[in-house]
Amino acid sequence: MEITICIGSSCHLKGARDIVSKLETIIAEKNLADKIHLKGAFCMGKCSIEGVSIKLDEELFYLKPENTEQFFQDEILRRLGA
Amino acid sequence: MLDKDATIVDVKHEVLYQVAKHAYLKDLDEKRDQIPYDIIPGPQANFRCCIYKEREIIRQRVRVAEGRSPIQDKENSNIVQVVESACEGCPINRFVVTDNCQHCMSRKCQQACNFHAITIEKNKAVIDTQICKECGKCAQACPYNAIADLMRPCKRSCPVNAITMDENKIVVVDEEKCIHCGQCIKNCPFGAIMDRSFMVSVIDLINQGLPVYAMFAPAGEGQFGNVSMADLAEAIKELGFADMYEVSLGGDMVADSEAREWLEAYQEGKKMTTSCCPAFVTMVKKHFPQLEDHVSTTVSPMSAMARFIRAKHPGAITVFIGPCIAKKSEVLESITQDNADYALTFEELDAMFRAKGVELKVSDRQLQQGSIYGKKFCSSGGVTAAVLEAFKEMDVKVDAKVAQCNGAAECKKALLMMKVGKLPEDFIEGMACEGGCVNGPGSIKPEMQSRKDRAALFSKADDRGIIDTITPYYEKFPFSLHRK
Repeated sequence: MEITICIGSSCHLKGARDIVSKLETIIAEKNLADKIHLKGAFCMGKCSIEGVSIKLDEELFYLKPENTEQFFQDEILRRLGA
Repeated sequence: MLDKDATIVDVKHEVLYQVAKHAYLKDLDEKRDQIPYDIIPGPQANFRCCIYKEREIIRQRVRVAEGRSPIQDKENSNIVQVVESACEGCPINRFVVTDNCQHCMSRKCQQACNFHAITIEKNKAVIDTQICKECGKCAQACPYNAIADLMRPCKRSCPVNAITMDENKIVVVDEEKCIHCGQCIKNCPFGAIMDRSFMVSVIDLINQGLPVYAMFAPAGEGQFGNVSMADLAEAIKELGFADMYEVSLGGDMVADSEAREWLEAYQEGKKMTTSCCPAFVTMVKKHFPQLEDHVSTTVSPMSAMARFIRAKHPGAITVFIGPCIAKKSEVLESITQDNADYALTFEELDAMFRAKGVELKVSDRQLQQGSIYGKKFCSSGGVTAAVLEAFKEMDVKVDAKVAQCNGAAECKKALLMMKVGKLPEDFIEGMACEGGCVNGPGSIKPEMQSRKDRAALFSKADDRGIIDTITPYYEKFPFSLHRK
């Protein structure tokens, strides 16, 4: 599964890099490194929306760093069927 | 505004300049739609059928210069983007019989064609394009060289066969195959293929007053004339960057780390490849996945510098500036690798200088962070020379043979040999651009034109060794040089 995280300046300021390292930690804890690939993306053009733009199976989400864990539980694990 | 003599390079520069200018002025959102009118004021069209098409092309170029896809809702994540309105759909058939045809009696072309695509008409041979399989046998057979091979320039330049045409003959770049080498961008005579840019993001963060650090690639020495690294650093700081570091220092770090890796591999009898050229690494990943284990685990000089800068200046935003388009994909692909935050090209830097009104001045000041070996990483053979120098400095004797692959075609050939276990050499130095990074597609001028200035600048570098250069940095700022 590929998780694409916007790294444009607006998302950078909203904590895109924090989200990446939080996701990395969770992925390592749950031993899912071979199932999940994290990738950066150019500005997705949703700069005015609160939260970092994240694409999962072509679906867009807007995520704040503090909600990363919840997002992982709700969206990523569900999609992985775990 | 562009005049009728403007070349495609001028058009690209003008768009980058306008976008950079409005990004610095923080009014890009209001002025975005005005840019096509500022560049193409009319009323006469200069390059295309009408000013409306010219403006639409500029509008799409502005989107790509902002890092978007040229057409809204037609998104793909590739760095290399086709500006569809600018693509001429080159209506050329690959093999064409020219007026050199003598209507000869040997009919060698006709006999050479295995598909019966050639008929001999009243004055010359004619190729039926519906039947022609583009094998080229007829062109080889013609005693008068009368059959021209006119492959579309984008397709001809692509080393990995990633370019096809849609039903309207508009270029399509296959994202699964593309290695972001930028050859098609460099070779399209209409400039219809562009690379997305991080320029606006970088300027935004500079405008926010954040500590943004520039990492300047050694291939840039000579690109801006006879301007020393010290003078360039000053100019780059005028753009709002906190400071500038030379990536040649990262080259030294990589040479030392690869020397250790090569030694180990050599003793184990394992063949290895370099890892500094991102287009080469992507070629391995996408086209020779079974060889991925042979790619050195040492990070690229860009990544080494990003890690070093973050260790030295916590919270730093790191921006690579070089001749390379593939570096942009390296940034996107390695967000978990503590790599650079953004990558820009020299073209983009040049546009930023103009947008901010920064004049490059030549002074007597000098700055040298990397050794001459780190600096020469940017030329074909340079990485090998640096690794061999590191061996020498470590007092290690290794009789290793290196296939120095100069350009994507040679890289592909060597990887193919490695795949079937027939590579005679022990190591591959892979550089996707012919001549090395100095010929990168994001350069301002071709290598031929910057060579003299670069040679003059390089000749001023002192003779410090690789190990002596990097040891003080490692002692002060411990960081890993390997992929996580």
